[in-house]
Amino acid sequence: MIAPWHERNPVVLKAMKAELATHYPDLRVIVERGIVHIRGSFPVIDDAEVLDRFLIEVTLATDYPDSVPVLKEVGGRVPWHEDRHVIPGNGEACLIVPEEWIIQPNHDSILAFLIGPVRNFFLGQILVESGNPWPFGERSHGLPGLIEAYGEILGTSDGHTLRRYLDCLSREALKGHWECPCGSTKRLRDCHLNKVKSLRMIILPRVAQQAVNRLDKLSERQKKNSAHPIFRRIE
Amino acid sequence: MDTNEYLQSVLSGQSLDDDSTELKELQTHRAEVEKLIRKSFGSVPIIRYGGSRAKGTIIKESYDLDIVCYLPSDSNAAGETLQEIYENVRNCLRNGYYVEEKTSALRLKGNSADNYRRDFHIDVVPGRFTDGDKSDCFIYQNGADKCRMKTNLDVHIAHVNGSSVIDAIRLLKLWKTRKGLRVKQFVFELLIIDLLDRKKGESLSTQLVHVWEEISASDNPIHVEDPANPSGNNLTETMKAAWPELKSEATNTLDTIKWSGWEAVFGAVAAAKSATIAERAQRATAFVSAPNKPWCPKG
Repeated sequence: MIAPWHERNPVVLKAMKAELATHYPDLRVIVERGIVHIRGSFPVIDDAEVLDRFLIEVTLATDYPDSVPVLKEVGGRVPWHEDRHVIPGNGEACLIVPEEWIIQPNHDSILAFLIGPVRNFFLGQILVESGNPWPFGERSHGLPGLIEAYGEILGTSDGHTLRRYLDCLSREALKGHWECPCGSTKRLRDCHLNKVKSLRMIILPRVAQQAVNRLDKLSERQKKNSAHPIFRRIE
Repeated sequence: MDTNEYLQSVLSGQSLDDDSTELKELQTHRAEVEKLIRKSFGSVPIIRYGGSRAKGTIIKESYDLDIVCYLPSDSNAAGETLQEIYENVRNCLRNGYYVEEKTSALRLKGNSADNYRRDFHIDVVPGRFTDGDKSDCFIYQNGADKCRMKTNLDVHIAHVNGSSVIDAIRLLKLWKTRKGLRVKQFVFELLIIDLLDRKKGESLSTQLVHVWEEISASDNPIHVEDPANPSGNNLTETMKAAWPELKSEATNTLDTIKWSGWEAVFGAVAAAKSATIAERAQRATAFVSAPNKPWCPKG
């Protein structure tokens, strides 16, 4: 079994503590039963002033930063409801489609996570609480939201095409004789090889596989209510 | 502004007016809870109110209302045993709320789609008076080694109200809340009152530093006694569990004051703004360099 990230990289944990102490002094880093948590009061800052505060707990799984930190608002202010982007079963906040964050170059910085998706989420909560819409829009719930997000990254809005791209990207090596994932039936070398190569620069095979698994999981759930499969796996 | 003026400004920013949304909501739920209890158990239960408002320790970032629902010592109107009373009151509250079971209290949260699990900051504490004096009371201890505990709401309120260190309690409660420290508020208040017993005439900053210094200097948890039941309610375990993080944060806070000053602990005191928080949040979104859309896996 692989040791948790903070045991493999104690220096990273130490740096994280120092970084938080400087930028978010009310947030504490705690290791409990081998898992790293960040707890305390998160200030939503604007123009050097605190607009509002939310009590939070962020959990960094053992494979962090390969997985997205899990945020919970623990002050009981945000209802557990899909429309507030909180999972009703466990209170976890759904800040962003995970792979959208994992492909960011600074996804391994907890500070970037707090200043980015976490702050955006709470700015949204303040606005939604007062009857306004989500400031930057919101993804559709479930599978359609995944297709929207992956589609934006891959440059296609067709579910089958993006699935083929993800399958292609999830492989460790590229072969020119493969069929192009765009659906043209041409060989990859004669079609979108450059696009796939560019995508591989930002989407690692591991991340593409993670996206495929997520699609499959939600597709499976949706299939229960539908006679036709949402995606066909490439053989 | 000197340090003590600054600390008073922090406290002012934490006040809740009687017509504040938060207190109005508490009052609405208080009436609803009383209605639910009366509907199930009639006029027999004695309902009283405690919590931070009653004790004068309310702060905007952490406030609550305790509604005690005590049965007379000779009444079985809500059940024969303490456990039955606890469970029957819980079941009655489920008609209007999502009820989270705590050791002795029932925490009320939203149960409808639009407010599911939103915290209403209300604890209902069922129990039974020990005798006809209607003062001391037994409450059920869900999942604890000892299944009942003797307590006295009036003694607790009087102990805090009469401590003469309410301001220090409120500021330390703010500190505890912001740091996410998991020490029971009641036990923390007892600790503060004990530590400041001989510092009542001191300035607020001196009082706070004294509390942090005492916690920081003590390797073992400082012993506190429940004034309502000094020999019967052992708070050592509660204090022991919280002590390492309490001590660590007290030490860090003293360092912060030393190197960065008090504003690094409680933040800058914001000037009054004409725009609402939502309006300011709306403006802030215009300057977000990396916007993203939230998503929910369940469709």
